[in-house]
Amino acid sequence: MSERFSVEKRLSLTNFKLYDKPHIIVDYEKCEGCSRPCISSCPAGLYSIDERGKLRFNYEGCLECGTCRLVCPRNAVKWEYPPGGFGVWYKFG
Amino acid sequence: MTEQERFDAIVVGAGPSGLSAGYFLAKKGLNVAVLERGTEVGSKNVFGGRIYAHVFDKNFQGWRNEAPVERWVKKEKMALLCKSGSVSFEFEREKGQGSFTAFLNPFLNWLSSLVESEGGTVATGVKVDSINFENGYARGVTAGPDKLEADYVVIAEGANTLLSEKHGIKRAPGLDETSLGIKEVIKLGKDTINKRLSLEDDEGVAQFILGEPLQGLSGGGFFYTMKEYVTVGAVVRLSEFARKRYNAKDLVEDLRLSPYLTKVLEGGTLVEYSAHLVPESGFKGVLKKPYGNGFLVAGDAAGFLLNTGFTIRGVDMAVESGRLAAEAIAKAHSEGGNSEELLSSYGKLLDESFIMKNLRKFSRTADFLSDNKIYKNYVNLACSTVKGVFDEGEEAKRAFESFRKALNIQGISFLTVLKDAWEAYRSI
Repeated sequence: MSERFSVEKRLSLTNFKLYDKPHIIVDYEKCEGCSRPCISSCPAGLYSIDERGKLRFNYEGCLECGTCRLVCPRNAVKWEYPPGGFGVWYKFG
Repeated sequence: MTEQERFDAIVVGAGPSGLSAGYFLAKKGLNVAVLERGTEVGSKNVFGGRIYAHVFDKNFQGWRNEAPVERWVKKEKMALLCKSGSVSFEFEREKGQGSFTAFLNPFLNWLSSLVESEGGTVATGVKVDSINFENGYARGVTAGPDKLEADYVVIAEGANTLLSEKHGIKRAPGLDETSLGIKEVIKLGKDTINKRLSLEDDEGVAQFILGEPLQGLSGGGFFYTMKEYVTVGAVVRLSEFARKRYNAKDLVEDLRLSPYLTKVLEGGTLVEYSAHLVPESGFKGVLKKPYGNGFLVAGDAAGFLLNTGFTIRGVDMAVESGRLAAEAIAKAHSEGGNSEELLSSYGKLLDESFIMKNLRKFSRTADFLSDNKIYKNYVNLACSTVKGVFDEGEEAKRAFESFRKALNIQGISFLTVLKDAWEAYRSI
């Protein structure tokens, strides 16, 4: 296994029971001009910058680690766990 | 959830500390419910792969025949990976019996079955939104539309301390006090693992990795053998990802694809990718008063995790803190109250336990390990020195000569090494 797996490929191997509403809400207005440590810190690579330079976040594939909540310097990440029974489902752990 | 909505004690979180608390509370005859937000017990838990056995030997009779142990750690390995090669160190015990590898999901399901066999309730799919306080006393929890009452609430919510922060029990941890652990589980097959690592069926390897793939980040890599699988991962301070622009999502792939591991992992299949926070503040950041009127805090949530610099101990400390929380609650229950004063025996029990003894002993370690110069400078220094000692040219080199040359190459003064060595001596 000397091939590099994209994070999307790796996330596709992990089990999820997706809830229809995001459990993390980002207040993008607060993100203007921020150094955006969330982008490099998220182990699932769910934070990115779109073609207009705006921050984008997708909760699908969230590993529920809580990193983005802690690294956000502007308190822009409203972080809750998904409702009981939803979200990531580790079989090994 | 059962019909009943009143319990003697409610435990928030069915991880190692929560289930331990639930088990010992049920064993003491208290009516206890352990609430878990995951669909099944263990579905939200992640750890590196190793559990220390002492705490089970002392408190769980017959566990060695029942618990889902993967392999007993016989070989301890440490590897420093450099561009020019690697230096590794191996310690092999005569017999592995002090620590074992496991997957947390099945292991927690085993612990959960113990709680239930003692008459306790473990309810899954129940996310606790808040603790209900009345006149300054925790009186139960709210989970969605349900209000559950209890005299005692054990907060065993894990490293991401949303509840404790919400109720002002602790502050949000700093970026230097928390690490992110990221892990891949790889299926390799029992025979392949045994052959490649010279192991018998139940013998395992625990490996600690520093160096090149981690690019001088404050943290370390790990590799554990399970029966049919291996786990590869790394634990790195959050400040590193925030500061350095290193992408957390690349970390384990960089490690897995290092020449040191590719041969061992050849033919393997990736089956799970996971991530979890690790409380790394050590003694300094541990919750100093992990109890109050009607509540106690256990496990990662209270910061009960030890990083010695070579190995991380979390599950044994979590299980012990859950057990001690149950002790303290049973005592307060027999005295007929739930005040902070009655629950303060938890603080005393912790203080005398291996949890606080270890954390005190390693009180300087957390700061030492968060300073990334040791990772940057000394891995390469070790590689260069060892490379010199085994120089294959015409002129053989003396060890100290190789070391001095390595210092030159790395641009480190001898005085700096002495200072850092003194710091290391005091810290790890």
